This record gives sequence, structure tokens and C-alpha cells, in this order.
Amino acid sequence: MALLAILPIIGLPKDWILYIFLFCVYLALANMWNLLCGYCGLISLCQTAFIGLAGYTLVIFTWNGLPISLGILCSAVVAAVFAVLISLPLFRLRGIYFAIGSLIVPDALRVVFLLWRPVGDKIHGKGAGYMLKGLEDISMTHIYWLAILVGIGSIFIMRLILSSKLGMGLAAIRDNDTAASSSGINIFRLKLCAFVISAIVSALAGAIFFMFDGYIAPTGGFNMKWTMTMILATVIGGISTEEGPMIGTVIIVFLHFVLARYAGISLVIQGTLLIIIMLLVPQGIMGFLRKTRPYQSFLRLLTR
Amino acid sequence: MLKVGSIDAFYGSLQVLWDVSIEIKPGEIVAIIGSNGSGKSTLLNVISGIIHPARGSIVFRGMDITSMDPFQIVGLGISQVPEGRRIFPDMTVFENLRIGSYSRGARSKREENLKHVYRLFPRLEERRNQIAKTLSGGERQMMMIGSALMSDPKLLLLDEMSLGLSPLVVNEIYKVMKEIRSKGITIIFVEQNVRRTLNEAERAYILETGRIVLSGKAEALREEEKVKKAYFGTR
Amino acid sequence: MDEFIASLGSPLIMGILLGGLYAVIALGLSLVFGVMRLLNVAHGDLVIFGSYFAYLVITFLGIDPILSLVLGIPFLFLIGFAIQKFLMARAFKLSMEAPLIIAFGISLVLENVYQIMFSPMSRGISTSYSMESFVLGRIYIPIVYVLNFIAALLVMVSLHAFLKRTYLGQAIIAASQDAVAAQLKGINTARIFAMTFGIAGATAAVAGVFLGLTFPFTPISGISFLIVAFGVVILGGLGSVLGTFMGGMILGLAQTLGAHFFGSAAQMLILDIMVLVILAVRPQGLFGR
Repeated sequence: MALLAILPIIGLPKDWILYIFLFCVYLALANMWNLLCGYCGLISLCQTAFIGLAGYTLVIFTWNGLPISLGILCSAVVAAVFAVLISLPLFRLRGIYFAIGSLIVPDALRVVFLLWRPVGDKIHGKGAGYMLKGLEDISMTHIYWLAILVGIGSIFIMRLILSSKLGMGLAAIRDNDTAASSSGINIFRLKLCAFVISAIVSALAGAIFFMFDGYIAPTGGFNMKWTMTMILATVIGGISTEEGPMIGTVIIVFLHFVLARYAGISLVIQGTLLIIIMLLVPQGIMGFLRKTRPYQSFLRLLTR
Repeated sequence: MLKVGSIDAFYGSLQVLWDVSIEIKPGEIVAIIGSNGSGKSTLLNVISGIIHPARGSIVFRGMDITSMDPFQIVGLGISQVPEGRRIFPDMTVFENLRIGSYSRGARSKREENLKHVYRLFPRLEERRNQIAKTLSGGERQMMMIGSALMSDPKLLLLDEMSLGLSPLVVNEIYKVMKEIRSKGITIIFVEQNVRRTLNEAERAYILETGRIVLSGKAEALREEEKVKKAYFGTR
Repeated sequence: MDEFIASLGSPLIMGILLGGLYAVIALGLSLVFGVMRLLNVAHGDLVIFGSYFAYLVITFLGIDPILSLVLGIPFLFLIGFAIQKFLMARAFKLSMEAPLIIAFGISLVLENVYQIMFSPMSRGISTSYSMESFVLGRIYIPIVYVLNFIAALLVMVSLHAFLKRTYLGQAIIAASQDAVAAQLKGINTARIFAMTFGIAGATAAVAGVFLGLTFPFTPISGISFLIVAFGVVILGGLGSVLGTFMGGMILGLAQTLGAHFFGSAAQMLILDIMVLVILAVRPQGLFGR
């Protein structure tokens, strides 16, 4: 049931580049959230931690004159290490406990970065934000391509995981926790793998975003906005489906631009939308489609 | 008093009861007998409103209770003692009994019913401030029956009371059952043990894999015991 | 050495008193979780709702925030009741994750409504007494902290009495131990759940008022206090009034002592870390079942 891959498009009008850029970044995040929630049963509210950490890693690199490509790689490493660290407390928790536990992490980091200035002089006043340096040499197109790499990459990563041993183990866990563990699958290790992978991809997506944006602040980097976006995208599209995050992200990007003018209300609407969708169409669009006859005939057509 | 007509019941997509009909007259003691998986608990749950039947109807004292919520059905006078001795483990014996009189009609008669329950089960009065989860199996069962009586029922449903209890305790419970009936409460009880049950009931229905296969007066069914021994292989 | 001990006096006492506030904040979370197994991630935001409500009342009507509870408590009760009845009840039937995600949605909506209405600026509730302190020797104890504690005692004692002595309270306890068995006793569990959520809202109203008097708050403060409440619930265990109080005090002390040694900017961070450590070490809590 293969879906089409989007070809890198060169020479499109500026607007479209922005749309696709955001699409790719958000897609990567949504896919990762789907991986954790839909396939591992982990409702992770701490993905923003990885995003923010990636941004700050870039800050450290650019302010110290180190090559940015190294910075991107390093942010992935930092995120992975951090993921392993916080999995120590977090993974002892089940389900709902895990969710709140994961909520603590970005909040704590937010305060950490409000207080700690990793580079530069002490700046007084509000806002512990940093501009990223040394971005002048990198063209928009390059950043754009990187985004596509990460976005499409996330699709392939999902594919890979789901069809690998890791994926089958995860499917077993999702369906029946105790049965899975008694058949020798090390649940902890599987979930940790998925968690670390999600950290890396999220960090990469975040790094690229901050390269584009050029600025990071604790409130922006560790903001719930990110979490909202990935949850909404996945829920609208359909949790536990492969295509779900893709469809959801398209809608989200569209929403973002429609609501761009109404900055504050945007999140209110997103939140309300989340509630409504969760109550009325919890399986998301994909889940809903799957049950309809025309879709099933469409599938039969494709696989003939 | 109670008419269960042609009930089909499902657990999810699995059908558990097929076209089950029973009729209970006021003041009777009726048994529903069946082995594990026969659907007997499901039948009680349908009557109590915990499961709604896919087809069929339940009429209690002239009222259609098929789609009512469980708490409403308790209010009308049907009280169930579920299997597995589901108590409120962290409440005291007294609190467990008291919560039995939660429904409107039962509250005003709480003191009266409580005295009655303590008379039936003196051990409960002794242990009334004990935390429920520290009680023995037999005591828990007594407490649950007492709690059900606190709701001032007209029809009492007992699900596998004797499971896991010593014969002495089981005897006591059957004695209590007769006393309860003498106060005018109709009783349906569900059991696996054929012989003992038929000694205590007046009428019985035999349920097998979700269908009623036999029914009638207890003496008549006892005659057919040889057939039943073959069916159930009971001692 | 004397200086050191003397200077500790204030944070120690304040920490204990603060524990009362934290216990009240945690109460609503604990109640909903104990009865319905739902960790309401929007609880902190409901508390902040109470804070903003009291803020509005004193700013526009000039009425003392504690008095405003006369309105605040029923209002938040209704909100909690409505959330359970119309949103969560449906969510429970869908899946295990659904209620959590919906709570998250509610949380975000609330936070952003606050942001739209009140701007991200931090606010506080000031009254004639909110800046005053008792003085014991060299120890300064803000009046508000004492009020927190008294209020906490009142709330907990009355809640405890309510749960033990009224039919409704016992029904809530029964439903939390075995929902189906409760139904068989004639308890309308759907309504009980809504009532529980409503009570949680009511306690949030009280918590919100005293929080607003004690700390400055912003639209996103909800999360910070949710984390504190969560820590208290974990420490104190469910279903234990005493445990919740103890948990509150431990965290209150952690905060005040942390502020004393590390500066006030780091207060909440210390709490965050502490809760994480608690989670790592003892998720079952120190008390309770």
C-alpha cells in the first residue's frame, strides 16, 4: 500500500516553499509522535524538549564558530543522550503517569534556559533569546532541502521501523503488554529505542527549523505549541496509521496559514478542534476512511 | 413478577445468550444452573441492566426495564449480589452495608434493614468496623448479601454464592436464603452444582452455552438427574 | 551557626504552610484520579482559572478574593461538572488515551484564552493584607501563608467529613473502588463522576484564590502547578488525606528551602527536578494504597 513520495521541487514561488518547509518539519514531528503514541502507547508530551535542545545546541555551535553541519549532527546526539537520561525516571511510569511526567521535562528545561546562558555575555532584561549566527552563508534552498530530507526521511524511518523486528515487537506490545513480555520481548528496550529515535528525528527537525527562523528563546523553543501541532496533526490524520500524520500535517499547515493573522486565537481553535475531533472522529481521517467502502475498493484497485 | 422474553446478549461481537426466556412469580426461589461459560452471569447482568440485550425484553412488575440504567433498576427493587464477592475493599463492613441503602426508597428504611441484616448475620455486627478486605470469604459473602438486602429489594439475584466456600458456610447461606424468602423477597440464584441447587430451589432453568435447555419444577428435574449427570458430570 | 539556623526558620515555617496550599491544589487532581483513573492535565489550568476569576473580581468589583469564592466555587464546580459530563464521559468510552488528549486540548485552550484576555504578563492578587507578615523574633511569616494553611485545613477536613458521612461522599468512594459494584448498589456512576469532577473544580477555585494571593501567575502557570500537584499526589498516595498534606509540605519545604539556598528564580525548577526524582525513585508514593 505504497503512497506517493513527494519529489523535491525546485524553483517554486516563495509561499509554496514555506508551506512545504513547514510541512516537512511538522511531518517529521507528527510521525515521531505517532510512533510513540500510536505504536508504543506512550503519550509523550516532552518532544519539545528535544526540539529546544537542538536549537540551543546550534546556538552553542554557531556562537563558537563551529561548522553548522556539525552542529546539526551534534544536536541529534544531544537529544539522544538526553532521551536516554530522562527515560530513567519516565519509563518507570505507565500510561497516564508517563504523560504528566513527560510534561515536566520541557517545563523544567524552559526554566533552565531562562537562567542559564550557555554562550555570550550576561544579557539583562526579559527574554533569554539568542540569534543564531553564521547563517548568512547558507541559502534558503539548502535549508529547504534539508527539511525535505528530514520530512521524507521520517516517512521512511517509520516504514523501516514498522517492518523491522522493532516494529513487530511494538505491534505486539500495543496489542497486549503482558503477552508480549512473556514471549521474551524486552519491552523496555523496544520503547527506549523508539523513544531515542523520536528524539533524534525531532531534534533534527527542530534544528532545521531554528536554522530557518534564526532565533530561539526558552518560551518559543519549549513551547506547548509544538506538542499541540504534532498531536493535532496525528489525531486528525489518524493515530496508528502510516498515512495519518501526512494527511494531518497537510491540514495543520493549511490551518496555520489561515489562522496566521489571529495569533492568539489560533491555539484556542486548535485545542477546540482537537477536542472535537477526538470526540467525534477519534480514529482520524485515515481511520474513518479505512472503514468506508469506496476506500476499500480503491485499495483493491491498487493492489491488483 | 419478572418476565425475560427472548433475550439475545453479546459481549462485544461474541454472542453469549440465545433466545433466553424465563418467568418468575413473586415469592419463588428459582435457580439458574449452568457450567462455566453457559452465560448465567450474563443473564443476571442483563436483568440488572449492566448489559443491554441486543434483542428481547425484560419486564419487571409490569414495567419494561430493558434499556434502563443499572441504578434505576436497583431503585425499582432488583438487587444483585455479583459473583466473585465484589466488595468495597477499603470500606468497613458497616460502610459496605450502609452504601447498600443508597437508593431513594431504601434510605428511609435503613435502620430497620440494618437491624434485620445484623440479625441474619450476627458476625457482621461483631465485625462492623473492620475493613472489608480483611474478612474471610464466607464473611464477605454474607456482607454482600446483607448489602444487597439494604437496598430493600423485591427481587434478589445471587450469582454463584457458594463458589469457593466451605460446605458449612454454604449451608448457613442457604438457611439465610430461606429466611429472606420468608420476608417476601423473591430469589433467583445462579449455581453450577446441580444436585444441591435442586434441593434448595422450587423451580430451575438449566442453561447451556447460552440457551435454556431444560426448565421446570425442581422435583421433576431431579428425576431427570441421570440425564443431567451425563450433561454435567457432577457428583 | 546561630545565624544559619535562625535564617532557616522562615523558610522552614513557610514551607510547611505552603504545603497546605499545595495540598489543596493536589486535592482535585487526586480526587479525579482516584475515582476515575484520569490524570487531568488541565487541572493546573483550572486552578489558574480560579486565580484569574478572583483577580477579575477584585479588580473590577473590589471584592475581597476570599469572599469571591462564594461565586467562584459554584462557578468552577459547574465547569468541572460540565467537562466530565459532556466531554470526558464520552472520551472514556473511546480509548484509554482519549481523555488524556482531550484534557490536553482543554489545557491549551484555557491557557491561550488566558493569554488573549490577560496578556502573558504575570499578575497577582493584592489585598490589604497580602503584603503583611507576622513577625516572630527574626522570622517573618507572610499572613497569606498562614491563611493558605488554615484554608487548606478547612477544605480537607470538610472534604473528609463529606466523603465519610454523606451518601454522596460514600458513593464517590464506592465508585472509586469498584464502579460496577457501585452501580449494583443503585449508584448512578455517571452522575457521581460528574460530581467528583465538579468537586475537583470547586477545590481548584479555592486553590486558585490562595495561589493568586501567594504567587504571581501567568497564563502558563497552570503547568507548573500541575507538576507540583502531581508530585504531591505521588508522594502522598491516593485516598489519603494525611498523605496529601504531608506530600504538600514536603514539596513546600523543598521550594522554600530551595529558594533560600539557590535563589528564587530557581524555585520551580527545583520542584520540577524533585518531582522527576520522586518519579524515578518511588512512583508508588510514600503513603496510601
